[in-house]
Amino acid sequence: MKIRDYFNLRDWGATLWENASRSKRIVIAISSVILVGLLPFAGASFLATPIAAYDAVLVYPVGVFVLMALGLNIVVGKSGMLDLGYVAFFAIGAYTMALMGTHTGLNTWEIMPFGIGFAMLAGVLLGLPTLRLRGDYLAIVTLGFGEIVRLVVLNSTWSKGPNGIANIPMPPDIGPLKFKLDDQKVFFWVVVIMILLTIWMIRRLSVRRPGRAWEAIRQDEDAAELMGVPTLKYKIWSFTLGAAVGGAAGVLYASKNLFIAPEMFTLNVSILILSCVVFGGIGNIWGVVVGATILGYLPDRIRFISDARLFVFGTVLVVVMNFRPDGLLPRKKREKAIVKREVNA
Amino acid sequence: MFAVLIDQFWSLTIAGIALGFIYVLISLGYTMVYGVLRMINFANSEIFMWGTFGTIITSRDLFGYTQTSEPAKGFKLALVLLVSLLMSMLVAGLTAVFVEFVAYRRLRAKGTNRLATLISAIGISIALQELMRLLTHSRPVGAPRVLEKIILSEVWGANIRLDTVITIIAAAIIYFILERFIKLSRMGKAIRAVSQNEDAAKLMGVNLNRVITTTFLVGGLATGAAGFFYVTVFEYTKFNIGFTMGMAAFTAAVLGGIGNIRGAFFGGLTLGLLEVYASAILGTQWKAVTVFIVLVLVLLFKPNGLFGEAVQQTRA
Amino acid sequence: MNQKIKQGLAIVTAAALAFGLASVSTATAANKTYYIAYQGPLSGGEASTGIDEQNAVKYAAKLFMAKNKGITIKVVSVDDQGDPAVASTVAPGIGTNKNILGVVGPAYSGATIASLPYYKQGGLVLISPSATRVSLTDPASPDFGGPVFHRVVGKDDLQGPALAKYATAGVANAKVFIFDDQSAYAVPLAGFVTSGLKKVTGASVVGTDSVPNTTTDFSPTIAKIKTSGATVVIYTGYYSQAAIFIKQLRDSGSTAIFAGGDGVFNQEFPKLAGNAAEGSRVTGVGGLAGISSKLEADFKKQMGVSSGVYSVESYDAANILLEGIKAGKTTRALMLKWVNAYKGKSVSGNTIKFDKNGDISYGLFAGFTSKSGVLVNTGIIK
Repeated sequence: MKIRDYFNLRDWGATLWENASRSKRIVIAISSVILVGLLPFAGASFLATPIAAYDAVLVYPVGVFVLMALGLNIVVGKSGMLDLGYVAFFAIGAYTMALMGTHTGLNTWEIMPFGIGFAMLAGVLLGLPTLRLRGDYLAIVTLGFGEIVRLVVLNSTWSKGPNGIANIPMPPDIGPLKFKLDDQKVFFWVVVIMILLTIWMIRRLSVRRPGRAWEAIRQDEDAAELMGVPTLKYKIWSFTLGAAVGGAAGVLYASKNLFIAPEMFTLNVSILILSCVVFGGIGNIWGVVVGATILGYLPDRIRFISDARLFVFGTVLVVVMNFRPDGLLPRKKREKAIVKREVNA
Repeated sequence: MFAVLIDQFWSLTIAGIALGFIYVLISLGYTMVYGVLRMINFANSEIFMWGTFGTIITSRDLFGYTQTSEPAKGFKLALVLLVSLLMSMLVAGLTAVFVEFVAYRRLRAKGTNRLATLISAIGISIALQELMRLLTHSRPVGAPRVLEKIILSEVWGANIRLDTVITIIAAAIIYFILERFIKLSRMGKAIRAVSQNEDAAKLMGVNLNRVITTTFLVGGLATGAAGFFYVTVFEYTKFNIGFTMGMAAFTAAVLGGIGNIRGAFFGGLTLGLLEVYASAILGTQWKAVTVFIVLVLVLLFKPNGLFGEAVQQTRA
Repeated sequence: MNQKIKQGLAIVTAAALAFGLASVSTATAANKTYYIAYQGPLSGGEASTGIDEQNAVKYAAKLFMAKNKGITIKVVSVDDQGDPAVASTVAPGIGTNKNILGVVGPAYSGATIASLPYYKQGGLVLISPSATRVSLTDPASPDFGGPVFHRVVGKDDLQGPALAKYATAGVANAKVFIFDDQSAYAVPLAGFVTSGLKKVTGASVVGTDSVPNTTTDFSPTIAKIKTSGATVVIYTGYYSQAAIFIKQLRDSGSTAIFAGGDGVFNQEFPKLAGNAAEGSRVTGVGGLAGISSKLEADFKKQMGVSSGVYSVESYDAANILLEGIKAGKTTRALMLKWVNAYKGKSVSGNTIKFDKNGDISYGLFAGFTSKSGVLVNTGIIK
């Protein structure tokens, strides 16, 4: 065994999980969730961010990025379609929350289904005509869609144009848990729950028919079609589920931020989320989580080099991609690990 | 609504064609690389931006022109313009080779997934843009007026200006040279061979690394030329201009059929005209929306763009 | 333990000791250290505005420290990139950092609205040098920033009519074409210019456009201007775009009067635009250089660069906070009270006093005309 294998956290984690009994797995899962839940209390450690508040950074960018990256991963990672307009669904969710929250008096949890619904509807409407396109053509069409949503919001009066919408209501308290601005732990826990739900959904789907169909489409779309997989249907499914997660993230973001404006929903967001997916390990849930956490957290942690931090960010992307092209926690290694175990057994 | 279009049709058309030719040259940067690597060169927009600074360096620092100095005349004018053009092409060409070397080469050698390369290219384009921002202190940079914008004549109420004429003619010549280069030269043939079948080309003795570096270089030269025309027409540059221009040029490349040199030509011109007409009819705020809707419609009916054949199929 | 590691450890220990001693000695030499923050775009596309403003704040702090030995002022740089999304991540950190007594900024209105909830919660006083959106000091608006928000700059509904008046001065039956850069700054200002024009006798709006702020090809807008037969063109947006536009307008043969708001007001504008800028009319508030060349020379000596946009406002805003520190207002609550009750002189000579919504009373805009490469102050627009 080569020395570098000792540092292969991905395989280490996978082996630990595969070898664990059912009860052990439950213990591992619960203790990791608790550990993550305790993260906001680690603000005094080396994790603390200068300038920005640590607990706020955990919610946005980190938490929201993880959620969105997981959603985009369904589209890009699972079924292999390059989507550069993911921000559109985020924006639709956020504007649903902003408009309904300020006009109807419904609360965040009641608006959530609407936000998800509108995002999914947009996903179907965009997907039906465009998902026949492939590769880079799809990329530019989705990119265009993202820009169109932003420009329509920017140029319309119902959305208050460039001024944006302020005074969006915060979520109502959940029992003793109060949502507060100067202490955003509860927001963080809500994001974590949404992330867990998304992970659960993806894992369930992955081992069932849709997951297998996406895998087939990702590897060879023509072959999949020939084998009787209704590719368009499953592509739209994948697109729409991704949109749903993006919409949910948007609703939560608007409700946490209390103010949204079109300039928050630029192409840069789509690119950043895509970077999170690829950086962490495309197609692998845990890789995506790690990637989004790092890319969300890093720019705020390295604020002390203030002026050059985006330059450093870009350089980090290049370096990591060059030396770990499959991301930090790649999907392939895991498949290898399983094979290895079977051989050893 | 259409009053402006009717009243100013020829002015708009000339402006659209000049803009279109700048797009054509930038699109070549995207299309060349795409043809060979099957990858979007995301950093091409920043290569263009760096190219614009080549012209600024030449006219401002090398020849000492300032914002208030008199425009050049005669032989001096030709000299400054030519050196500026070459300098922009050189800067952009070198940047492109640098991008290939840093962001693409290692990943390509490993034969890894396309997305990793895309993110690597996005990373290098962020780094290039930020580096220029730090160098220019985030400020816009004005270019001295070297070429006086004389109105040559008036046709149907439209002014024909010297800079527009030079841009259109020179850009057309550069495009033509490039097209000939791809079609006729030995290297051009190698490039086409690689874009048709990489393995076969390798077997036939084509030096893959050299071909790919040359592709980036040629794409960079074209993009750099666009940078020169951009500065000559708009007399301005800034670290963040790459994105908008790059996006438009990329759209143009897809519109024409990405990977296809002639597609870049027609795509660029179509886009330039579409932008000015749409702005005049609907208002400039709807320009980008119109462009993207047209793009989607074209792709729906012609999924490979208007001229959907790739570099490899270009008949020699 | 091998030799090298031992050596290394020794060096590290020595360095740590030396560093520790040094920090102790500075701590005893300086009596007191106070923190104020500057919030604005310090990176990203809008960075030049923020860097200019922050330089003025740092300059004020430098002068203050030179005058008041024993007080150290630290200016915390809060980079929001002018972007509300970034502002809402940094604002909670500043809001809960009780060391910070007051903020100069935020520079942009959008970022201000996104930051406000956190500062209201933390009772942290804000004095913005450049956030001009009307709704920020309108108690009926959801954007209302009271009681923490203040500004030392006139708001859009003062500037809009002033710009309308100045642009059309001396033009009989002015036909005005108005266009904006689609930004949150420019669109509302264009609205106030339009309403201001209604009060100018004979003036009419003949056309409008809205051009994304990344545009460099203005030919469609120019075509519209020509078709509309406008004699006055008003642009609400920033100087770099204005410079490109005015060159193209003049090259197209149009001689219409060009006017712009405080976004265009920057000495870089006539420099970038060259001869084409000649005669352009811009509303703004005089920079340090406009007030006294001696002050500007000192600024350049101390900071190494010329003063830029909103340097007077940023300098004034910082001084209000610094005077408060000198007066012993060293908690947030005291500082907020101090600013609310503040009455003092601006470096421009005006009296600064905030009304109950956080606005200053004067906010009069001066008209500037471009003459041989410099924007020359032609006096307050009445």
